[in-house]
Amino acid sequence: MSDGIKRRDFLKVLGAGSAGASLVGCSTDDVERLLPYVVPPEEITPGVATWYTSVCRECDAGCGIWVKTREGRAIKVEGNPNHPISRGALCARGHSSLLGLYNPDRFAGPMVREGGELRPISWEEAEAMLAERLQGAGSNVLMLTGSAPGSLGELFDDFVSAVGGTRVEHELLSEAPLREATRIAFGRNVVPAYDMERARMVLSFGADFMETWLSPVEYTRGFGRSGSVDDHGSNKAAMVFLGPRLSLTGQNADEWFPIRPGSEAAVALAMAHVIAREGGDAGPYQPVLEAYTPAVAAELSGVGADEIEDLALRFADQAPAVALGPGLSGHHGNATAANLAVLILNHVAGYVGRTVRVRNADLGAASQSYAEVREATRRMSADGVQVALVHGTNPAYGLPRDAGFVEAFGRVPFKVSFAECMDETAALADLILPDAHALESWGDSNPRPGVYALQQPVMERVPHFDSKQAGDVLLSVAARLGRDLGAATFYDFLRGRWERAYDTSMGSDGFEAFWSTGLKNGVVTIAEVEDQREILRAPDVALTFDLPEFTGGDLEFTLQVHPSSRLGDGTQANRPWLQELPDPVSKITWHSWLEMNRHTGESMGLRNGDVVRVESPHDAVEVPVWLYPGIREDVVALAMGGGHTDYGRFGTGKGVNAMALLPSLVEQPSGALVLQATRVQVTPTGRHRRLATIEGADTQENRPITPAVALAALGHAEADDHAEAEGEHHDELQELQAYGGFVPVATEGRAEDFPLPGSQYGDYDPDENPRWAMAIDLDKCTGCSACAVACQAENNVAWVGEDQVTMGRDHNWIRLERYYETVDATHAGPVDVRHLPMLCQHCGNAPCEPVCPVYASYHTPDGLNGQIYNRCVGTRYCANNCPYKVRVFNWYTYTGEEPAFDGMGYAPEPLNWQYNPDVTVRTNGVMEKCSFCVQRIRETENRARIEDRPVQDGEVVPACQQSCPAEAIVFGNVRDPNSRVARVVENERTYRVLDELINTQPAVHYLKKVTFHEVEAGEH
Amino acid sequence: MSAKSGGLLASFDYLDDALGAIRELCKAGRKDLTVYAPLPEHHIEEALGYRQGPVRVFTLVGALTGTATALAFTTWTSMDWPLVVGGKPILSIPAYVIIMFEMTILFGALSTVIGLFINIRIPHTKPLVVYDPEYTAGRFGVYAPADSAEMDDVRRILEAHHPAELREDREGAHNA
Amino acid sequence: MATATEQPRGAMTHPDVKSYGQVNQEILKALSRPGKGWWALLALSVAGIGLFFTSWAIQIVKGIGVSGLSSPVGWGVYITTFVFWVGIAHSGTLISAILFLFRAPWRQSVYRMAEAMTVFAVMTAGLFPLIHVGRVWHAYWLIPYPNSRYLWPNFRSPLVWDVFAVTTYFTVSAVFFYLGTIPDMAAARDAATGWRKKFYKMTSLGWRGTDREWHHFSKAYIYLAALATPLVLSVHSVVSWDFAMGIVPGWHATIFAPYFVAGAIFSGVAMVITLAVPLRKIFGWQDYLTVKHFDALSKLILLTSMIVLYAYLTEFFMAWYSAEEPERGVFWNRLFGHYWWATWIMLVCNGLVPVLLWFRRVRHSISALFVISIFINIGMWFERFVIIVTSLSHEYEPFAWGVYRPSMVEMGILIGSFAWFGFWFLLFTRLLPAVAIAELKEVLPLPYRPRPQEGGAD
Repeated sequence: MSDGIKRRDFLKVLGAGSAGASLVGCSTDDVERLLPYVVPPEEITPGVATWYTSVCRECDAGCGIWVKTREGRAIKVEGNPNHPISRGALCARGHSSLLGLYNPDRFAGPMVREGGELRPISWEEAEAMLAERLQGAGSNVLMLTGSAPGSLGELFDDFVSAVGGTRVEHELLSEAPLREATRIAFGRNVVPAYDMERARMVLSFGADFMETWLSPVEYTRGFGRSGSVDDHGSNKAAMVFLGPRLSLTGQNADEWFPIRPGSEAAVALAMAHVIAREGGDAGPYQPVLEAYTPAVAAELSGVGADEIEDLALRFADQAPAVALGPGLSGHHGNATAANLAVLILNHVAGYVGRTVRVRNADLGAASQSYAEVREATRRMSADGVQVALVHGTNPAYGLPRDAGFVEAFGRVPFKVSFAECMDETAALADLILPDAHALESWGDSNPRPGVYALQQPVMERVPHFDSKQAGDVLLSVAARLGRDLGAATFYDFLRGRWERAYDTSMGSDGFEAFWSTGLKNGVVTIAEVEDQREILRAPDVALTFDLPEFTGGDLEFTLQVHPSSRLGDGTQANRPWLQELPDPVSKITWHSWLEMNRHTGESMGLRNGDVVRVESPHDAVEVPVWLYPGIREDVVALAMGGGHTDYGRFGTGKGVNAMALLPSLVEQPSGALVLQATRVQVTPTGRHRRLATIEGADTQENRPITPAVALAALGHAEADDHAEAEGEHHDELQELQAYGGFVPVATEGRAEDFPLPGSQYGDYDPDENPRWAMAIDLDKCTGCSACAVACQAENNVAWVGEDQVTMGRDHNWIRLERYYETVDATHAGPVDVRHLPMLCQHCGNAPCEPVCPVYASYHTPDGLNGQIYNRCVGTRYCANNCPYKVRVFNWYTYTGEEPAFDGMGYAPEPLNWQYNPDVTVRTNGVMEKCSFCVQRIRETENRARIEDRPVQDGEVVPACQQSCPAEAIVFGNVRDPNSRVARVVENERTYRVLDELINTQPAVHYLKKVTFHEVEAGEH
Repeated sequence: MSAKSGGLLASFDYLDDALGAIRELCKAGRKDLTVYAPLPEHHIEEALGYRQGPVRVFTLVGALTGTATALAFTTWTSMDWPLVVGGKPILSIPAYVIIMFEMTILFGALSTVIGLFINIRIPHTKPLVVYDPEYTAGRFGVYAPADSAEMDDVRRILEAHHPAELREDREGAHNA
Repeated sequence: MATATEQPRGAMTHPDVKSYGQVNQEILKALSRPGKGWWALLALSVAGIGLFFTSWAIQIVKGIGVSGLSSPVGWGVYITTFVFWVGIAHSGTLISAILFLFRAPWRQSVYRMAEAMTVFAVMTAGLFPLIHVGRVWHAYWLIPYPNSRYLWPNFRSPLVWDVFAVTTYFTVSAVFFYLGTIPDMAAARDAATGWRKKFYKMTSLGWRGTDREWHHFSKAYIYLAALATPLVLSVHSVVSWDFAMGIVPGWHATIFAPYFVAGAIFSGVAMVITLAVPLRKIFGWQDYLTVKHFDALSKLILLTSMIVLYAYLTEFFMAWYSAEEPERGVFWNRLFGHYWWATWIMLVCNGLVPVLLWFRRVRHSISALFVISIFINIGMWFERFVIIVTSLSHEYEPFAWGVYRPSMVEMGILIGSFAWFGFWFLLFTRLLPAVAIAELKEVLPLPYRPRPQEGGAD
């Protein structure tokens, strides 16, 4: 077969090569000097990937990335292993930046509005027009930008001050309260950084650090290390989640305190109270703590006083621990106070300077003040603004209706948008100057002191779109106005800034060397400032720690509005990968849903999918309900990101916009927008819809799918072996062999068990071949679903569209299963939700293989369960016979230029530029499934063969493992007893799904989740 | 094919008459009688003294050929490009038995039909001179080949059994 | 061949059929000019065939996705209908071959239409695997032929067994069917005029009914029957193994082969009644398809229905007894889950309704039998639906459970398949003697000269 594969690849390369050649040819003159990671661009060879480092701009964490390009096209984004924040991992949203780059709805070029219609014009005209308008605007210029860290922000400021005007930054997901609280507490105007890895216990006051809070990838990795058992089955740090709703982060907690919304401050202070009583230093806040006894907090929060007390003692005991948040789901009327309370708690317990770093900090996290936006809005409506420039933000979509932004913006005579593609704000603009995508632009980031990352273009601008980097536009406009900002292009501006910042402490052999190392490695790290214990300062502003006010006070439910872990604040809503990625919590795709407690919903006679009307004093939306045990009975939750009215073909009209329900409230003193601001009325409409979900049943139904083991029960491996020797272990399976009749088949995945005679090898010679296998540690896996999107990007997995998902035709090769074990929203206690990435198990005795009439599904000599697309006739017998249901069928061609029907998956130009040329693009009527990234295996094997050496352990890295922020996945050759996977497989927690039931001999080994509470007997 | 130049064709309404005629003709040493009947009738076969026919040989040989072919084919194709599926041996004989069985039946049935057609010489399109449409309806026919010398006593025997109709066939154009 | 029973033959089966000539006359008159009703039915079936191929065309152009199939239910109405028609196909060869070997005296009148039904049912069933696959333009890859890919089919796959079993079954039944008609074609030839005469001249291959022809014919017929008998049993066993060879809970059961065979005979005999009753009426064959025949058929139904019901109960018992969660889950889900209604239709139609046949009065009421046979046809379609769909929708992985809703296209093809079958059967009733003339005569009294005789026949 290997010959066949080679031949096919060769043909593909020819195609891709000729297609990419033209780009390669001109890529160097248009873009500035590109320093590839491995080879200089002029040496690009068809079929060989070239890598460029850059910085991810999907959120403000500032992860370093490096981008795989083939024949001049970016085809895959991966975390930069050198970067201290991403360390090689990447989240789902990061992967999706490629779809932003190739978004078919990007503007074809600059456009001007004439008589309501947008008319294409040249850049020359456009810049001239802008210059002229600015000339006449005097100082009444408003520049509204998203968070623009590093040089771009500086350029913005220079520009605004040069042309006269003001600049306002606006980010919906702003951490202003945290920054303000840190300033109040420690006199440092920074967003602290947290050291999850060192934490022995993590207390999250609704901070979704695995999804959206501050730096998800970094924190997931950190907690993945501290929050899971080590090889000796110990040292597991507990996570306690305090909040009204279990987010994904909450589902990964070991305990849940379902506290009343807004009571975070009180609970934190009460805990600090207890610890202070035991001798913790509360500084100037001692009197405040007096007021907040556990009893008071219990009263406010609805959980028991003794539970709070006990938690506080454990928190103090498990040093160093860390208390986080409250995150955005805690952004209610007194968010600053709540953040301050949590900082006090950390300080009282003595963790500031250890796990909470305020000196060596300032995460790049956005922390803009909504108050300024309100002020700007006022000015606009008072006709105080002649020219408005909008870059990197979409307030027309993201602000509450009450904010009146749209009306005010409409009054501005000349509105300029730098949007890459149409969005609600650009739709109002008079002039559109399409910015280049982040992967096409220069930039830099400084996610924290001592970490400098360079963002460089990874490919020539996608030729379909005549875009121009905003920085360059501003500079040339400034030049037209006769203002000198010290550089002709943004590249020079950036480089100049770095040159000025450079000193020998950053590297002794000159700036040039420093600069190119920066490009090569994508990041420069400088010795970090030493952290130290901070002095707690008395508050310089009035703060209340009691329950905040909510509008619609007497209504039944408190509405929680939280950023979506897939679509953020809606910026990624036009990415089919993310729209179709099942939400890690609800497993719903494409549309919005209202989360409501299961009992509450049932008492209201609601079923999943019943459409309800959610009414706040400010607006109302109609949305299907999804009943969820992990949310308080008096709270309902809506995710952000839906309800776009003008955001491209993939984003428009999907779901509802949660922001519409909110009032335009400013939190004091931080000035942030209050997200948890209102109560709502929920009334059934009588209508129903099938949810576009991948969820079948949400419990294991007494099957050994994701068994768990209690921490206390670990460490008895020897005893087990002993029992086994005496035959007290469960019955051994007997398997009929071709020769020698029945032989026992061991059910532990011991390395030496491979190959089982006649099982995964049949008549192949096992000693000749490796046996590729994977181990997934469910104690680490958080269900964040980054692997699923990474797999999609690597393997050209199609997206199929909302209707198809609703029919059950979702295409992801990795299905993140989520099973409830223990979830109780009525009182504080253990929570146990199991996440299991289900992918092709590459069974030794694969049930899918013998039933295929045409050998489309067969076993490769190295133990892979091969799927030969061009043999497949589509009987679907293999899928029926797959007990894991990991095979997906192409019911239509989901990869064509045109959709088979409206709203169905397709890949219009240039979206199809993202396809990996090493992987067949599947069409109508064939079965597909996870291939263990066979193209990567073969590539590595070939390299090893060329270099005349064996493939080393850990050299083959499938896309899912590569991207996993929790480092939960291990891949390798289990035939080699020294390989990491073979050692992991010997772990006492290892099991194989359903193997004992049907003896499929999977090559995917799972390590049981470890719980602090006892796993009931009989329960898996 | 007999050398006789012609013969007599008698049609009977009743089976017993026909049988009587046949028996007597046989006793008289007449060979190559051809008896027409609207249905398969064992009395007639007995009267003519039939024994086992050769068709069964075709059936047996065909069936065995089928078995052998299937076994050889499945085995060879599996060895031709050995692909392991589901951890099963390259030669999964139990599975092949089903193919072998089906082929046995198929070949057996077809060769039976071939055997039959050869033995009764159909299909043929030669003109049916010595024949009466009534034979497929209700009547029985007895044709005795005879040359002019024998013609008379044959006629006598036939007439003795009340034939509904008696026809003389001079050309001997029938082809039994 | 020659039945052991002597005088008075036929007394018990066809009291009112007096002479051989009468048989020819009354059976062959069906082959005369068809009336308006027949043309109307033909038009209807042609329309149905139109629907059938239109739906299929849409599916080929757009993709198999126009069906309601999805994950986890990858098999649905198409495979259900395939199994249904294969099942129908069974009673034909059963009645003609097995009952023939057992010398059942009542088979002669019905076996011809049963065989025709078999052939046409297989012709219908054979289309469904093609309709069902995702890439029908590559369906021929299941057939072993030397190809540029150097790849032969996987003979371990039940689907390949199917290919062999069904094609063999079609060939053998067709041959068996045609062979049986040759003498009657000759009869028709001798009676017919005009283009019909030419037609039957060809099809009867110059049969004349000589002693030699009859001798070999009878022998060959026995051998064919002997070969066809195990074939009947094997084919539906193989079809059942499409499921039993899978590890899907609800499929993976050893009783499937006998269970399916019984079910096939059950549904097939029911279909014979469904077809025979109208023919009897239209052509006035009351003398040939007597109450006794229907009585015998309904006893066969009664027997098989009990076997089938027993199989259902065994399945449920084994599921419970196995104490395996997935197995239990599937069967619980069958009774009370999303598809409970299908299961209960199955149980009522196949288990409860046939109980009526215990009563002679029901067995002897043609109209009652007709209604019951319809019920059984419906019930047996749902049996296959239940086995396939409920099992797939509720397998090992709870998180991957899902439901399947048939689409309009699937319905169009399902309905169209009946039209396709009906079309061929209509042609059959007008072109071939629907009752076996020659063999029927075997069970009539032998034409002996009346005694004491006054001047013979003339």
